[in-house]
Amino acid sequence: MVKKNLFGVGLLAFIFFISAPASAAVRGVTDTEILIGQWGPQTGPAAPWGAVARGTDLLVKMINDEGGIHGRKIKYYLRDDSYMPAKTKAIAKEFVEQIGVFAVVGGVGVATGMTARDYLMENKVPWCGPVTGVYEWITPIQKYLFAIYPLYDDEAFNLTGYLYEKLGYKKIAMFYQNDDYGKQGVMGVERYLLKHKIKLVEKVSAEVTDRDLSTHALKLKNSGAEAVIMWTMPTHAALILAETAKIGFKPQWATSNTLSDSALMMGITKGLWAGMINSFFGELPDSNHPLMVKYREAHKKYAPQERWGVFYYAGIIFAEPFFEGLRRAGRNLTPETWISAMETLKNWQGIGPPITYGPPKTPMDRQGGKHVFYGKVRPDGTIERLTDWIQITK
Amino acid sequence: MDIKRNYYEDIELFKSNTILVWSILFLLFLAVLPWLIVKYHLLGLSIYIVNLITVHAIVAVGLNILVGFTGQISMGHAGFFALGAFSTVILVLNWSMPLFIALPIAGFVSSAFGFILGLPALRLKGPYLAIATLGFGMTITTVIKHMEFFGGRMGLQAPKLELFGTLMKDVHFYYMIMIIAVVMVIGAVKLMKTRVGRAFIAIRDSDIAAEAMGVNLTYYKTLAFAVSAFYTGIAGGLYAFILGFINPESFHLIMSITFLAMVVVGGLGSIMGPICGAALMTFLDIKLQAIQDISLIGPALVAFSQKYMSLAGISNIAVIVYGLIMILIVLFEPLGIFGFWIRTKRYWKTWPF
Repeated sequence: MVKKNLFGVGLLAFIFFISAPASAAVRGVTDTEILIGQWGPQTGPAAPWGAVARGTDLLVKMINDEGGIHGRKIKYYLRDDSYMPAKTKAIAKEFVEQIGVFAVVGGVGVATGMTARDYLMENKVPWCGPVTGVYEWITPIQKYLFAIYPLYDDEAFNLTGYLYEKLGYKKIAMFYQNDDYGKQGVMGVERYLLKHKIKLVEKVSAEVTDRDLSTHALKLKNSGAEAVIMWTMPTHAALILAETAKIGFKPQWATSNTLSDSALMMGITKGLWAGMINSFFGELPDSNHPLMVKYREAHKKYAPQERWGVFYYAGIIFAEPFFEGLRRAGRNLTPETWISAMETLKNWQGIGPPITYGPPKTPMDRQGGKHVFYGKVRPDGTIERLTDWIQITK
Repeated sequence: MDIKRNYYEDIELFKSNTILVWSILFLLFLAVLPWLIVKYHLLGLSIYIVNLITVHAIVAVGLNILVGFTGQISMGHAGFFALGAFSTVILVLNWSMPLFIALPIAGFVSSAFGFILGLPALRLKGPYLAIATLGFGMTITTVIKHMEFFGGRMGLQAPKLELFGTLMKDVHFYYMIMIIAVVMVIGAVKLMKTRVGRAFIAIRDSDIAAEAMGVNLTYYKTLAFAVSAFYTGIAGGLYAFILGFINPESFHLIMSITFLAMVVVGGLGSIMGPICGAALMTFLDIKLQAIQDISLIGPALVAFSQKYMSLAGISNIAVIVYGLIMILIVLFEPLGIFGFWIRTKRYWKTWPF
């Protein structure tokens, strides 16, 4: 008897897990819905960047409340990959093979995204706006991958030019973290300097695990630099500012848009962040841009528990062009019509940089974001905008 | 019954016809598993996840030879895993070796480092050995990070593999990995029944007594590290190809600890235990967050988590459940999943008494 019962339970359990896969003409598109997905680290070492994926959720809610796009609501799947590449690939497979998404939007991390890139491309899944500014997304050019994030390399190149030509700093030093992100910054800075036949007065790197930066600070001071470009994660930025302040070295600091959350940076540097020249890939948090006003209201309505920070609304910046593509593609939505629609984007702008993918040509242009702007952090943590959008990628 | 009348019965691979039949049935099940997954989405699995589980199972079996059978500890197996992964990719990429040659070489590279790590293990025990191996794991990834030869921090993209002129898909990888795994698991079972395996177990139970009995501690302790690293290295090589992209940052401390947890949750000192441990933990780690898609319960859990824990939502619940399952297993069954199996077996044997 017991054996029979067990068999029955087993059979039931088996049937329970069997689900018939839905079949649709275009994957992830039904009469009433468009399915999209995003991975993001909600837990683990990179958890603060998880806000990006939740920011996209806000935009999805807004679009759905306005009636969706061409009669279809957006169904958004957010998955936590804990910043582990093996999990990211599992999520990508789940998106394509089990949920059947139309497209992937955003996605933080290089190593994580790289495990999924080829798989998504082989399956012709559109992917819009990976949240890192590296060359991996556009070399080689992928038909279904639309990059938005301004390239770190070009950004560093242009920032150096801004300091050297516009602000007149002739003695420039660099402080960077010794990893792929820091290296991209160095690459851009040195490319600029080489072009103008000048040299960095000092180049100091720190290991990601370093916690004592006193010798680094001393080296920077002894170089006599007037301006220092830093290309680091928040922790190292805070540490080096504290150390240089201790020994009385106060150059003009400048840094990349990955540290553009000035409210956060003011907090962890205890006010030393003031005076920083920062580049930005999106409107400022308190901007009066009509879209920003609209998004801030939606934020109060749908997700008041979230902090209105750069990471959070970056989730909107990297998804806006995707939805614009959906609108332009019309009711007949396939990956191909979406791509043709995306290729009509020319200086299209939401709250991020102007997006251009240009007319179809060879080689295709898949680097949509080509601009940043510069701002200076005021003592109260707000930002004084110094420039308009500046083109950094030709 | 488990009564053995002579030594040769004890070292047989299949102790009875029942076990032989079940083993064959299990292998048949493994052979049709990809088909079942594609057709029925069994447990929401994908072939990729099964591949990942199998690779983790090879690591767990290898680590268990060290931890469960020899009584040594390692918190640096992510280092061996990385060595295997990078060696394989470099051999295939730069020296255009076929995978079936590159893989064993990577295994031996890894085991050479295992031998080196085994040397300090001769003098270290318990927590001290844990720290030494932990340092090893972190050193390996740091060294890899600093050498352009290994692709530096940017990592390496594993070349696409071809099989008879077509690109290998997950299902091809599945059969390749599964065959390697089955061979390696049988190898581990057999090893434990040889002189070497007995020596390992003697060292675990009491190294002083083992030495008095004539077991050469230097030889067998370093050998245990080398064998364990060999398994992990092979698994690392396979991992690189199912992932398609590796960078040193991915082989971190948490990975080493997860490997150790797989062995402990599965059951120390058994072969099937770590396999079950690897399967359970890999599966839960990836699929637990799917509870948010269950109607009613899912959204309620998300709302609860966002209100009382943090904005991460379902991940909070998933992490708690994941940890809770591990704690409960170890708390109620110190032998891990394997312990449940032994108890169930015993219950059936004496049923209905």
